[in-house]
Amino acid sequence: MTTNTSVIGKPEIRKDAAFKATGKAQYTADLQPEHAAYAVLVRSPHHHADILSIDKTLALQQPGVIAVITAEDIPGLKTFGLIPDQPALAINVVRHIGEPVVLVVAADKASAQSAASKVVVEYKKLNAVLDPIEALIDPSPLVHPAGNLLAQFNVESGDLDSGFSKADIVFEETFTTQRVAPAYMEMETSLASYHPDGTISVWVSSQEPFIDRARIAAALNLEVEKVHVLSTVIGGAFGGKEDSSLAIITAIAAWITKGTVRMVNNRSESFVAHPKRHPVKIHLKIGAMNDGTIIALDGKVWLNTGAYASYGPAVGSLLTEMVAGPYNIPNVTIETKVIYTHTPYSGAMRGFGSPQAHFAIESAMDMLAERLNIDAVEIRRKNILQTGDTLPTRVHLNETALGLEPILQHASAAVARLRKVKAKPGKHSGVGLALAMQSMGLGNGIPDNSNHRLEWLPDGRVLIHLGVPDLGQGLVTVAEQITAEALGLPFEQVVSSPFNTHTVLNGGVVCASRMTYLVGNAMIAGAKHLIQELIDQAATLLNQPKDQITYACGRITLPDGNTLSASEFTSRAAEQGNPILVEASACFPYPEATTPQHLPIGLPHVKFLFGAQVARVEVDAELGIVEVTDLVAIHDPGKVINRLGAEGQIEGGVVMGIGYALYEDMSLKSNDQWINCFTEYLLPTSLDVPINLEVQMLEYPEGDGPYGAKGLAEICTVPTAPAITNAVYNAIGVRVKDLPITPEKLYQASQTHIGNHQDTTESKR
Amino acid sequence: MFDCEVNVAKSCTELTQILIEPSARILAGGTDILPGMRKNSIGKPITLIDVSQLNELSYIREHEGQIDIGALTTHSKLITSPLLLQHAPALIDACASIGSTQTRNRGTLGGNLCNASPAADSVPPLLCLEAVVTLSSHDNQRQVPLSDFIIGPGRTCLKQGEYLDHITFAVPQKHTGTSFMKLGRRNGMSIAVVSTSVLLRLDQQGNIEYARVAFGSAAPTPICSHHAEAALTGKTPSAQLFSEAAQAMRTDINPIDDLRASREYRLHSAGVLLQRALQTAWHQAEMDLR
Amino acid sequence: MNKLTVHFTLNQQSIRLETLAARSLLDVLREDFALTGAKDSCGGDGECGACTILLDGEAVNACLVLISQVEGRHVLTIEGLTPDGSLHPIQNAYVQAGAIQCGYCTPGMVMATKALLDHTPQPDETQIREALAGNLCRCTGYTKIVQAVQFAATELHHDN
Repeated sequence: MTTNTSVIGKPEIRKDAAFKATGKAQYTADLQPEHAAYAVLVRSPHHHADILSIDKTLALQQPGVIAVITAEDIPGLKTFGLIPDQPALAINVVRHIGEPVVLVVAADKASAQSAASKVVVEYKKLNAVLDPIEALIDPSPLVHPAGNLLAQFNVESGDLDSGFSKADIVFEETFTTQRVAPAYMEMETSLASYHPDGTISVWVSSQEPFIDRARIAAALNLEVEKVHVLSTVIGGAFGGKEDSSLAIITAIAAWITKGTVRMVNNRSESFVAHPKRHPVKIHLKIGAMNDGTIIALDGKVWLNTGAYASYGPAVGSLLTEMVAGPYNIPNVTIETKVIYTHTPYSGAMRGFGSPQAHFAIESAMDMLAERLNIDAVEIRRKNILQTGDTLPTRVHLNETALGLEPILQHASAAVARLRKVKAKPGKHSGVGLALAMQSMGLGNGIPDNSNHRLEWLPDGRVLIHLGVPDLGQGLVTVAEQITAEALGLPFEQVVSSPFNTHTVLNGGVVCASRMTYLVGNAMIAGAKHLIQELIDQAATLLNQPKDQITYACGRITLPDGNTLSASEFTSRAAEQGNPILVEASACFPYPEATTPQHLPIGLPHVKFLFGAQVARVEVDAELGIVEVTDLVAIHDPGKVINRLGAEGQIEGGVVMGIGYALYEDMSLKSNDQWINCFTEYLLPTSLDVPINLEVQMLEYPEGDGPYGAKGLAEICTVPTAPAITNAVYNAIGVRVKDLPITPEKLYQASQTHIGNHQDTTESKR
Repeated sequence: MFDCEVNVAKSCTELTQILIEPSARILAGGTDILPGMRKNSIGKPITLIDVSQLNELSYIREHEGQIDIGALTTHSKLITSPLLLQHAPALIDACASIGSTQTRNRGTLGGNLCNASPAADSVPPLLCLEAVVTLSSHDNQRQVPLSDFIIGPGRTCLKQGEYLDHITFAVPQKHTGTSFMKLGRRNGMSIAVVSTSVLLRLDQQGNIEYARVAFGSAAPTPICSHHAEAALTGKTPSAQLFSEAAQAMRTDINPIDDLRASREYRLHSAGVLLQRALQTAWHQAEMDLR
Repeated sequence: MNKLTVHFTLNQQSIRLETLAARSLLDVLREDFALTGAKDSCGGDGECGACTILLDGEAVNACLVLISQVEGRHVLTIEGLTPDGSLHPIQNAYVQAGAIQCGYCTPGMVMATKALLDHTPQPDETQIREALAGNLCRCTGYTKIVQAVQFAATELHHDN
């Protein structure tokens, strides 16, 4: 579907930009109502320990202290989660460093901190298991009574044994990835206010405010309607704010103290007590023909999900789907285990398993190419998915994959161009390519809809009551542009209301690269209702036949050819107390006829995004220092809704991928503490990103997407790390199979490799 | 809120009086002590002595072939000093590599020395310049070579009631080249995995008349490598010679394994950096010779 | 904990403040003056730049300035960048360049940019990247931020 559009694709300026640029935008931590108390948490210093006793006496005597709260004070459900294994406050045992144990509420932050230091918690340290493979070996300390294997997923297609027996070449490799943090700039924060009428308002910085609402209600033993969840401006999320922990705790504090309570995590708390991207081990066995055709893949995956389930099982299931990458492999078996350990929990983070899967498969593709002496582009061309192919989940691909081959073409051109650039003196240059795919939507069997409202205001503007908050990525702007387009209105004529569970419908969780698609379709559907309502109003008021009234660009045309502004009717409707307000909803389609039903809930996905990234690096081989000089990111968002926003999201995703490849690692230090600050957890700075970061967007419309749009949010960070490791290999012949690439690893490896390879790369040039 | 008392020193005399208090800690740029206090990594009780009003301790002066730098001179001020650009470019490179713009606008040279981190970037070039620190107290002033001032990680020879007043070094003689090189884990806001600074002076024949070699993050304190210096002195510069110096250096440094790197990698990279630093300094000295 | 009285200029206004002494400028700005444009992100390590303000015209992290240290000095926050709260050319450049996503780093970035352009009106790309290396951003990848600074430099140059 290609139509001439007037708002879609334009670099419209997001309406909150000036507000943010002037510092006037208030994030939750900036809300400081008078008389608000402040709460802090006493957290577990141990990986695993029994809580023998908690003595609040001293803390309660401190000046300004209002309450000291433990799990037993929680009026309702004490645990939460998709799998409700996570206590809001620890119950008898702690399972990771940083777990909330005691909640201290005081008049101000300093008093709360001071009192918290006076809470005496007596622990009995227990053996802990931090490694997921060890956690599966009997006897291992148990994280939860039912065992350390939280979930397992198996996907099979074809006949693996016969595939391997036919293969000319079979090889096996193991890849590992590290624990990384979403590291949004705004830490988790919440503000809760108890109301004397028995209701509570809770401001959250969250991707899933309706889920937060349900969990808060359960914890407080309240009807859901008595909990209002609101959002102000949100400072980034990247998956990590699919976590209700702090919202529930703040609500408990406000409820028990019958007051208003603020909570803001500090950065170290954010590191240890909120979701991370899973550290993963992936073992691949690949069988291929001499011409490069892959005919068999056996994958085994272990995810360290930490102490609590969070979204771990869902990440495991999606990772399982992604292990084969964007390739058509006839015989596939994947087995994935999601394993509890006594580590800070992992959960949702940008890519949701796909970055780990692609690090493995895209590294393996280059390794296979080298074994068969085939070019990295060629081997991918031989194997990439085409429309009509069948995935390991037995999903038949439709037009969703049309962009993949052109993406590879563009990548091929970038590879050729970057290979010609000479290295600076003393440096080794290399070029690496990686492809990627990312599913859209929550997966089959999970309610995957998104509900909103549109209101035609008396002045002719249209107000979106968006059922989800903007996380910073620009969702509101996308919704406004699509609505403006659908109604033929200028962008400025469409505005949005702040998020509040009491005034909006449930838009679902902001996740899974599905919001542009779902919200966009909802806005288009809503716009049709709005137009119909307007025509009905006009027909009634003017006593004209409905079917002879038409609408275009904010105006009604009557049978006699006269036109009237929409506001003529919307103002009248409002005066009569009957404003033009319609529902705008959409549902992610999993057509029963074409969606395989043999897999667990959440599987399979049926729509996919594709992309490629080409990295050029210069390596200081003596020191093992990698500089990413160039990165070309090629993505197919179906249709670009806002060029500035789309480019910006890709650029940010690439840089997050660079952090994943080169710098970020939330590991355990020698003092048995987790890395928990930006001095040690290194994010890329403006000096650590490619000077030449080029974004290419190819638009292969999704038939049922809004103006053809699909999504972008996650895919843009998926291929970055393998593109860089492949480039490093191309530069100095060192294959990094465990992220991140560190100077240390390159130095150790190059001790043996560098001499040999230098000649071959030189001769290749 | 910090858990401490704060005292503001209005003059150096007043400073020496307040400093007698055992809990007194000088707050200069605050870029290390304040994060340290937030992490409870500094012993209590603490009385912070705010010295921000002592403008008389912020200066860069030359007199009689000596350069004096007041202890409260910020890194930003140092790296824009034409005097230092002429006479101590390696010190400028080192201070320019500290933290971020924001850090350099606050952090002071005196603070960097008194903080006594093994990774303190300003120290290796100052060691090469054989800098001397002047320490003042209410009734005394004494001078200590910088190499004796820092005695361990976070430890200096400052006595109770003493403060670092200024840093002094002689303007290098003609035919001298200096350099500073730092290896970090990233480019922005990096902390040295290892750093090195060298100073070479050539005689008329182009041979090394005098050599100083210092390292950061390679031992409990930034240190000089006397073996490397000895290996270089009196010799004709060459890649071979520099490689020998890199070998000789290994007996002097004693790096640790930590989060940023292993001992082994530090030993290796210190050698690589040293050879590069020597090349740079040599070329500079040669230019000076011509 | 002792108290003291501090006199300073805050966004062109003379201030006399009696306060507990052991507080950071960031806490004072946010809690006593409700100037919440400066943000905390790293927890007071000076590692993120989200609380960047200008102290006597220099970019500094407000979390690493003790309130006693501003005695007699000029503090400029994002809220004081223009007298009437309209968009400063730097802010406008950030808006137009699409350099703002979640916006949490933006006030600090804008102030770091202001300090850069005050000292170096026509910086090259390396100077821009160096000047902003103390300001972390997790959304944008910095590309559009660097472009915004370039736009702003051009704009301010034309104005002069």
